[in-house]
Amino acid sequence: MTGLRSTLGKLFGGSKIEIDGAPSAELVVAPDSADQIARLLDFASEHRLTVLPWGAGVHQGFGGRIEPDVIVSSSNLAGAVEWNPDDLTVVVGSGITLGGLDEVIGARRQSAVLPEADLSATIGGVVAAGVSGWRRLRYGPTRDRVLQGQFVTGDGRMVTGGARVVKNVTGYDIPRLLTGSFGSLGIITSVCLKLWPEPEAAATVTADDPERAAAVTYRPQAVLETGDGVSVFLAGTSAEVEAQATALAGEVAEGFVWPEPPIGTCAVRMRVSPVDVSPLVAQIGTGPFVAAHGVGEILAGIESDEIEPLREWAEVRGGTLVVERAPDDVYEAIDPWGASPSTLDLQRKVKAAFDPLGVLVPGRLPGGI
Amino acid sequence: MVGSLDALVAEMTSIVGVDAVRAGELDRHLFGKDAGVTRGEVSVVVLPKTARQVAAVVRAAVSHGVAVVPRGAGTGLSGGAVPESPAVLIVTTRMNQIDLDAGNHQAWVGPGVINLDLSDHTDQFGLYFAPDPSSQAACTIGGNVANNSGGPHCLAEGSTVNHILAVEFVTADGDIVVAGSGAPDPIGLDLRGVMVGSEGTLGVVTRVLVKLLPKPPAIRTLLLAFPEVAGAAATVSGVIAAGVVPAALEMMDRPLIRAVENFVHADLPVDAAAVLLAEVAGHEAGVDAEAELIAQTATENGAFQVRRAADAEERELLWKARKSAFGAIAQIAPDYYLHDTVIPRTKLVEVLDQIYEIATRRNLLVLNTIHAGDGNLHPKFAFDGSDPEAVAQVKAAADEIVEISIAAGGTLSGEHGIGLEKRDLMHLVFSPVDLDAQARLREAFDPIGVMNPAKVLPAGSRCFDFGRPIPEGTWV
Repeated sequence: MTGLRSTLGKLFGGSKIEIDGAPSAELVVAPDSADQIARLLDFASEHRLTVLPWGAGVHQGFGGRIEPDVIVSSSNLAGAVEWNPDDLTVVVGSGITLGGLDEVIGARRQSAVLPEADLSATIGGVVAAGVSGWRRLRYGPTRDRVLQGQFVTGDGRMVTGGARVVKNVTGYDIPRLLTGSFGSLGIITSVCLKLWPEPEAAATVTADDPERAAAVTYRPQAVLETGDGVSVFLAGTSAEVEAQATALAGEVAEGFVWPEPPIGTCAVRMRVSPVDVSPLVAQIGTGPFVAAHGVGEILAGIESDEIEPLREWAEVRGGTLVVERAPDDVYEAIDPWGASPSTLDLQRKVKAAFDPLGVLVPGRLPGGI
Repeated sequence: MVGSLDALVAEMTSIVGVDAVRAGELDRHLFGKDAGVTRGEVSVVVLPKTARQVAAVVRAAVSHGVAVVPRGAGTGLSGGAVPESPAVLIVTTRMNQIDLDAGNHQAWVGPGVINLDLSDHTDQFGLYFAPDPSSQAACTIGGNVANNSGGPHCLAEGSTVNHILAVEFVTADGDIVVAGSGAPDPIGLDLRGVMVGSEGTLGVVTRVLVKLLPKPPAIRTLLLAFPEVAGAAATVSGVIAAGVVPAALEMMDRPLIRAVENFVHADLPVDAAAVLLAEVAGHEAGVDAEAELIAQTATENGAFQVRRAADAEERELLWKARKSAFGAIAQIAPDYYLHDTVIPRTKLVEVLDQIYEIATRRNLLVLNTIHAGDGNLHPKFAFDGSDPEAVAQVKAAADEIVEISIAAGGTLSGEHGIGLEKRDLMHLVFSPVDLDAQARLREAFDPIGVMNPAKVLPAGSRCFDFGRPIPEGTWV
């Protein structure tokens, strides 16, 4: 390993960086170009080194634990921004944070409609984890926004998939495949995102019953339920926000008042069909939760002994329960993903197509892929 | 082929039954093309009803050493459903089951269901399927999935891929698998997303779970007439810059307006250089303000006519005008060649000018319908296919349009697919390494090349190994 360290040191100037919360690794590097990453991954494939891509670490709790030889930070891939406001597109380096992107595109009141909770997360991390914001009820999930992806495959090839246009069927939809791949296919270096203009007005209105709320509004941005009740998130012209707020007859707050992410002994993400949201909420104990009606996603902070019964409830109905965070002893004893998807064999082949030697985050995906 | 054609036909007949096999010369000829210009060769046509039959057909085809090509209604324009060499054509039109789950706003739909029939079926529940290609009265959901079809209303709602939650398909091994589910974000790699737009090259789709949307309570439709194309284009940008993404924003140019008016009699402004058909949909309290903003933006950009559809009947007439382009062109010339490229919407004026220049130089009549909101161009050349010079000019013009679209930052296809038509142009937008990555992906699904071979990727795409180019002259 000493020989490898010195070779890698030569490749990357030996600059050592420290990352809080990252697992220990032989080397931590922050390349400033896709080309450098390509050389690194080519080298890693040749020497069978395990590589862990790292953004801000916000989504590193997902999936199988990695013991990396090399950690590749995207912190030096944060500079490039090519914003085309009239086309509603932006091209960004994967290391830019959600907050950093908002600072740029907020100037014309545009949004990529990404997760609201943690603005320190990087775009690369959000895309790799495939997580979405609460407004997906209206705008669809994050993967609907990734128009183009540039990435370096496990064996060091720089690949571009998709195009910088909002409508496209030119070859396979590789950007969509990258979204939610958790770094298993390649290290994302930049993406082109579709943007939305922020509507003129927004309000958050309390409601008693999510079904009634859906009936008296037209396609709200989100309908979220927590232990404190149901809130409907409205946006559009001032007139339509006001009319729908009046119809809901709840307490009105201007703008979006997003719920705090639920914190408990274990953090889990449950996904079920939309009609199963209310019954699933009834299954959750006393811990905090946020349930997205109409979408089918529920984040909850639960006790470790709740994992199995809730997972079984969800899986029987075609859903999933993913453990995002749990005490070490609990995490080691369970499968963070639950039952493997039926396409596992195909997924393994797709992984091998992009990372033939399996150097990228081995074991992170369901089924140990 | 391993063994005789008769043996292949006999085996297919044993799987799907005699009434679901077409092997006569006429049928093989008729099914040998789509709505575009390419023609191919069919060994035998099968019309299965179930996924299990499709799986058996695929296994039998593999054992006979013949490829399979899936086909819906055959309205495609890029040759995606046209076998380049003799193949088993799997026609999905009998797989037309709809299982609606109104509570979840979802439906399991057979690939043979006609796009418009789906929305008609779900209408009584106040739901609809958003993608609405101009051919929606004939094209199938399976074809929409294969080509990630769009339509005028995908500006606000996205293309087919945004509305497909799960895909059931038959693999090259003859297995039936399901990617995706009714719950959001299935764990693992998003194979569902890759299946959409893969043009039948990764598997034969046997069922899809679609997302349905609630029908908007209020719709406003406007027809805006401009003396200059630039004014129409500036209106498109201006509306979006003001924070409104209309449900649809369609442009027609003067030659098309005149052709359509002659055909539909919708009282269109035949003196306009361009018209925009704009539609906003949503809450009753919001649509008037949005429509007003569009009207005002248009007036500021020189519109000489702002026509608001007074009722559903007038709205339908305006949409009929937009969707009747093909019928209208048939009055002008016996043949047309319909193009499909995408550019950033801000490049519309400059690219349209170039298209007119190309047409003038080549002595061709070009008519344009444009999904202006998302920069999707559909120039149509009207010509006489029996005139070889005209055919040559149309083909040359088509290549030029691809070139100028790519130079403007665009790409090959927005909604018609690559198929055979644009396969050999893929290198214009992708590097050899990019194409190799796509070829590897395809190989992961179909290592033996049985699924709609020769489509999408040019021959020789798979020419790299471990990131190192194979030395020139190497036999691969």
